[in-house]
Amino acid sequence: MAWPIAELEATAAICSVAPAAATTETMVHPGLPIAWAAVAMLMMIGLSLPVLRGSPGNASRSDGDHMLSLTALPMIGPALHEALRRPWLLLTLRILTAALFLLLIAAGLFGSPIPERNLATVLTWTFWWTGIVIAVLLLGSAWCAICPWDALAAWLVRRRLWRRGAPHTSLNLRYPSWLRNQWPALSMLAGLTWLELGVGVTTSPYATALLGLAMVVMATTSMALFERKGFCQYVCPIGRTLGAYSTTVPVAVRPIDPLVCADCKTLECYHGTDQIEPCPTHLVIGRTDVNQFCTSCGACVQSCPSHNVSWGVRPVANEAMHHTRGHWDGAWFMVGLVALTSFHGLTMLPEWEQWMRHSARWIGDSGQLLWTFSLGMALSLVLIAGTFVVTIRLTQRLGPRQADFKPLFNNLALAVLPLAFAYHIAHNLSHMLRESHGTWAVFVNPFGRGTLPLSTTERHALMTLPIPEQLLFTLQAGLIVLGLGLAVRILGARARKIGLDRGVSRVPTTTFLLGVSGMNLWLLTQPMIMRM
Amino acid sequence: MTIPRLLMLTLLLIMVPTAQAHHVLGRPAYSLNEDSNTPPAMQIETQVGAYFVTFMAYPAFPKPGEPGRVNFYASRIDSGVSFSGPVTFTVRDDGLLIDSAPETLGQQMPDDGVYRQNYQFHQAGDYLVRAQFESDGEPYTVDFPLRIGDPAPIGPIGLAVALVALLLLSVNLSQRKRLARLKTQRHNAGRA
Ligand code: SF4
Ligand code: SF4
Repeated sequence: MAWPIAELEATAAICSVAPAAATTETMVHPGLPIAWAAVAMLMMIGLSLPVLRGSPGNASRSDGDHMLSLTALPMIGPALHEALRRPWLLLTLRILTAALFLLLIAAGLFGSPIPERNLATVLTWTFWWTGIVIAVLLLGSAWCAICPWDALAAWLVRRRLWRRGAPHTSLNLRYPSWLRNQWPALSMLAGLTWLELGVGVTTSPYATALLGLAMVVMATTSMALFERKGFCQYVCPIGRTLGAYSTTVPVAVRPIDPLVCADCKTLECYHGTDQIEPCPTHLVIGRTDVNQFCTSCGACVQSCPSHNVSWGVRPVANEAMHHTRGHWDGAWFMVGLVALTSFHGLTMLPEWEQWMRHSARWIGDSGQLLWTFSLGMALSLVLIAGTFVVTIRLTQRLGPRQADFKPLFNNLALAVLPLAFAYHIAHNLSHMLRESHGTWAVFVNPFGRGTLPLSTTERHALMTLPIPEQLLFTLQAGLIVLGLGLAVRILGARARKIGLDRGVSRVPTTTFLLGVSGMNLWLLTQPMIMRM
Repeated sequence: MTIPRLLMLTLLLIMVPTAQAHHVLGRPAYSLNEDSNTPPAMQIETQVGAYFVTFMAYPAFPKPGEPGRVNFYASRIDSGVSFSGPVTFTVRDDGLLIDSAPETLGQQMPDDGVYRQNYQFHQAGDYLVRAQFESDGEPYTVDFPLRIGDPAPIGPIGLAVALVALLLLSVNLSQRKRLARLKTQRHNAGRA
């Protein structure tokens, strides 16, 4: 006789719940006060006026002329450079992050499903996801140097801890030409946003661990089949996002003396040495000002026989203003970034919820309303990206005669990048500061064994800000203003490059930049749901 | 557009009333009622057709062999009026690659607006509890996931390890063959 799956119990009720109590309270963070937003908006309008008057952007300049190398730092500079020239420092950091990553996967798969009690969700979504974007501001693409799934993939495929792997451990195929662009990374980023906001992986330690495992499998597959690190260059949504943002920040891996690189015949940075891997993303770092695809892996720092490569500080946004090559796929990645970051905020509005409910009823959706969410996401992205397309069409009309659409689009898309970056940080800053209080307990009990869900009192305590609220508001409003300021500078430089000299031809893009910044600012004024 | 008009527009834009708290539909949430000694509960809220429904599972982490209960509550989205007809609860195994027939747990009438259905599962696993009712001649079906016992983590890890091992093995074999072929070619070329 087959066992029934379940049987009814004539037990007394374990507890009783009145319908009124059958509604969970969702905790929200207060938004930026209106007065702050108004002041920030005024400042942004003031910042954008010079570009509307057709002021010329800065003339193109090479990073090398204005570079401050790490080696020039008094006392610690040379010591740090020496430490980075040897593999041990980065290797130790890679081992540490990989160990933490494996612990996170174990916690997600075997630990408590309560998101705020499990290391997988707290570390991934409260600290890492928030922290890496902030880290770009200070350290460029440094995350990639210690990326755990890339490290695990390299160890598995190359079977070496740090030395150059034997060539036969990978098939070393060239990436298919149709994949050698930013479309795979953009699709992955949209997919990740869908998983985060639609499916809700942020509230599931199990799903978070599966996502981590999927990254390892994808990175390993790519490394085993293709040469160098095509996954980092074309597919990884994290790497490409950090790469795009890092074109606006000052910290980067650069040559110390560009003339030494100009005379170099052997190009160890590109080809590697017997011991050191070649540049994973095909860069000759000494002869380019474009760091967008640099993963800060440090291979060139270690392989250069003249010890001429180091981390350094360059002029802010110089790369985005003058050097980033405007490619069609890359430009769409940037427009996608701005659309996706603003969409993040959009999903936290009550109007979004109402729209979801009405639309779900209309199309007969139920459960997690995933069809409705997907439809809403697609519409929102199309709306924001479509507005940018219209902006470029208008620019085409107002600009010099017979200006092609693509060069305009490719160049002006770079101007939207700081808006995405600024809103990304401002939004995440609030999550990190407001939700990290007390979550350190997960590092003591990563699996959350024997823990209970947060009580209302604990939730309120969790939302205690470690800094004065006014300081947070200043930072958020300041970031949005700074983002617009950088965007306008990039617009000026790019407009000059493509011959948009008349102020009127810059009006559509300036209006778009102000519109998106205004929308992002308004989104920040709205109360925000706690991530977990 | 003049600057004062732009400013007016901006101020209008940012003076929209602020948002209220809202819920994430369809996602399990764990809650603790501090005012009573009840164990933590797992709760899912969603909507289906004309109804907004809430499902609560007690305890939040049910174990095989232990009694548990689901509470179900449905109210009309337009008027807020609670549903009061009979609701039938069924359950089926929702594990990966398992296609089991649903079993009836019972049919319940509301008690103070809430439908309560007790259960006791014998085996750990992923289950799907289904609540079915009829309103205005329309049949309604609402599914809720229910996990009994601990998840089976070996599945995803095993899958990931198997995939990676298979891939690395195939690459290794293919490269060895290629190297052996090259060696033979060089050897033959040397003799010729
Ligand atoms: S690009 Fe992605 S996979 Fe590569 S190192 Fe950076 S985060 Fe890791
Ligand atoms: S080798 Fe140098 S240029 Fe290439 S990714 Fe690594 S750090 Fe960047």
